[in-house]
Amino acid sequence: MSAGGDLRHGLRIARAELSRSIRGYGRDWRRLVGIAFSVLFLGGYLLVSLPAAYAVGRRTGSIEAIPFLGAGTSLLPVGLVGLAALRTLERIGRPPAEDLLLLTTHPRAVVLGLIGAELGRLAVWFGVPIVALVTAFGFGLGAPTVIPALGLVALPLFACSAVWGYTLGIGLLRAFRRLPTIRRLLKIGGIGGFVVLIFGSQLAGGLIAERSIQASGLLDAVSIRPLVSYVSLAFVGTPLADSVSLAGLGVLAALIALTPVGVVAATQQASALWFTDTSVTAEPSETKTGGERLAAPRPFSVVKSGRIAWGHLLRAVRKPQEFTHLILLVFFLGPVGTTVVQAADDALGPLVAGIGVGLGTYLAGATFGLNPLGDDRPHLPFLLLSGTGVRTIVRGRALAGVALGLPVAAALPAASVVLGTHLLHAAVFAAVGAGTVVAAAAFGLGLGAAYPIYEEREFWGTETVVPSTLVMLVFLAIVGGGTLIALLGTWVTLTGGLGLSPLVVGAAVVYLALTAGGPYLSYRYAVRRYRRYHLE
Amino acid sequence: MPSANTDAAIQATGLRKVYGSAVALNDVSLSIPSGTVYGFLGPNGAGKTTTMRILTGLTRPTDGSVRIAGTDVRDRRALAPRVGYLPETPPLYDEFSAREQLDYVADLRDIPQSTAQERIERYLSEFELRDDADKRIDAYSKGMKQKTAFVQAVLHEPDVLFLDEPTAGLDPRAARRIRESIAAFADEGTTVFLSTHILPVVEAVADEVGVLFDGRVVAEGTPAELRERAEGEGGSLEDAFLAVTSGGAEGLGSGETVESTAGASASPAAPDASNDSR
Repeated sequence: MSAGGDLRHGLRIARAELSRSIRGYGRDWRRLVGIAFSVLFLGGYLLVSLPAAYAVGRRTGSIEAIPFLGAGTSLLPVGLVGLAALRTLERIGRPPAEDLLLLTTHPRAVVLGLIGAELGRLAVWFGVPIVALVTAFGFGLGAPTVIPALGLVALPLFACSAVWGYTLGIGLLRAFRRLPTIRRLLKIGGIGGFVVLIFGSQLAGGLIAERSIQASGLLDAVSIRPLVSYVSLAFVGTPLADSVSLAGLGVLAALIALTPVGVVAATQQASALWFTDTSVTAEPSETKTGGERLAAPRPFSVVKSGRIAWGHLLRAVRKPQEFTHLILLVFFLGPVGTTVVQAADDALGPLVAGIGVGLGTYLAGATFGLNPLGDDRPHLPFLLLSGTGVRTIVRGRALAGVALGLPVAAALPAASVVLGTHLLHAAVFAAVGAGTVVAAAAFGLGLGAAYPIYEEREFWGTETVVPSTLVMLVFLAIVGGGTLIALLGTWVTLTGGLGLSPLVVGAAVVYLALTAGGPYLSYRYAVRRYRRYHLE
Repeated sequence: MPSANTDAAIQATGLRKVYGSAVALNDVSLSIPSGTVYGFLGPNGAGKTTTMRILTGLTRPTDGSVRIAGTDVRDRRALAPRVGYLPETPPLYDEFSAREQLDYVADLRDIPQSTAQERIERYLSEFELRDDADKRIDAYSKGMKQKTAFVQAVLHEPDVLFLDEPTAGLDPRAARRIRESIAAFADEGTTVFLSTHILPVVEAVADEVGVLFDGRVVAEGTPAELRERAEGEGGSLEDAFLAVTSGGAEGLGSGETVESTAGASASPAAPDASNDSR
């Protein structure tokens, strides 16, 4: 069959995949609620942004060059290739129903279909706001032609970046398969790199704001002139137009030529991945177990829930990729954390102690607690018929969280003594941490049991069940807020800034009642959900 | 090793598949004539699914070659119209209805629209799916999903049909429907390669049986021939299966090479490797 035939099949596959995605959103009420919130939240921003984009367009008409165009344009393809590679690693490295597709049509059509569907999803999510903003900008500029022109300029750039990003992603998947150790190292390195990126960007932002480093020099360094000339083609016929440069046209020709070359490379890589070896998900991550029976050490071995907790911990060590959801914390606390650390000065010791309490509390609740029914679902028919009480099963999960969080909540305050924290203060912080750790472990279970997620998703070649994002956010808000109040209250009390007035005592009693009562009720709720669970 | 038979619907020569240090398949050769229903048996982990994936071109062998209806399986464009494959897990899209799913597959297979519509409606009726054809597949029972996937595999009327556990978990009515269809396709000249653990299904529909054990074909012949050779064990196909998979073909009594009327042969030598993860 000709390339035209593959293109037609590719479009058909892309259409079907996009249709499946949209139907998938509509099938899950949690996703619908999430989308509704996003639309309300981002829609509001968009409504505010449209007049701003119009105003920027008007102002831009009177200047000679668009600020940051060089750096933005030059970084865009790098970002797009990276994004496409990540999506390939996470989601589209293998086609859905691959036995069907690969025996029905050519791999090139499948590659085109998967990339096309991904571009379609991008358009569905971001198309409307981007077109609206560009339209407002174009009318502000007094040159509506910029709207289709930007579209025409963006299309080859997006297509080429998507194709090469897909090729890169498939290449990485093949490399991971051949070198599983590299895969594990890259996962750890990737998480480490991500953390460094978050904190590094904050630090760089601070230095630029303090004018310790010159932003203009950085931006000039990353600008690729021919690419800027190419994007400038979108402004032909507007007050911002440069003369049409040969370099810009050369980039256009290169993009048009490189896209089919990328498709050929992607098809070769994908064929090798899909036909040569077994699925990554079929491979056990680690086969050696030491050959010993599952014997929990003390103190886990003392009670049954302890032995269950030990089982959870053992599984966590052997398959850590099931806990990728924990990284969400970095998104929220990374930016704030850097600022706080920079502002801490001589309070660094107590700050480290507080961070330890917060981190331990987070780990205690979020690691095993936020999707207990989803995590346990494959084993529930056995667990619920095993004769072990439901309370013991739930307590086992809570204990596993406590066993993980408590050492962190105790060790960092202890270590903070080196940074100047008073020994008594460190001990009090650790004691507070012990309380918040237990509370978070119990609270997380009820919250997670309220909104279980059962569907597995492929993430970096591994099928995992991750908690609902909504549950994660609610957990972060409530437990984060509660822990912060506890830490601030402890700090103010320790430094003598809080007298024992009736109001303070009353507030402390209410706080303690909520901190104890909320998690207890949450734990009871989790027990009830397990008890009333029905296999569907 | 059987000599290459250019008329064979399935011609596999010296197939070998190695995963790391584990040998999943070791010198497997098959020659199956057109119109044959070939029952492919073997214990869990013997390499049946690996064999089927190699025969359909979905997995590349470490060594050896495969031709399906005269076409080298590496030529995917030529192979696609000739084979249909129903894997153990039906490759269906939960978000589609059966009719949408079949329309989609017909489109990707370039079946002319009028022909596709006629076939889809006919098969939906034959498999008693018409009333539910516009419901989403995620609402289907296991049997309905399996029947939809079966129709999907035969929609383009392939020369060779590969079926992996097509009746596993089905109720008797749905299982019978699939069995009757297998027989009907074979009567019309389609070659059916049927992998299953359900021996009565093999006895009911298979013309030839091959038994895979630890990556080797350890016995091959008609069901009657295998039963006959296992007479000392009681004479059923199950006895023959248990005999050859519990220590090579010695259990059949002679230790000689088992000759197949289909033209294939295999030495009953003891297997040299095992791999439960394949």
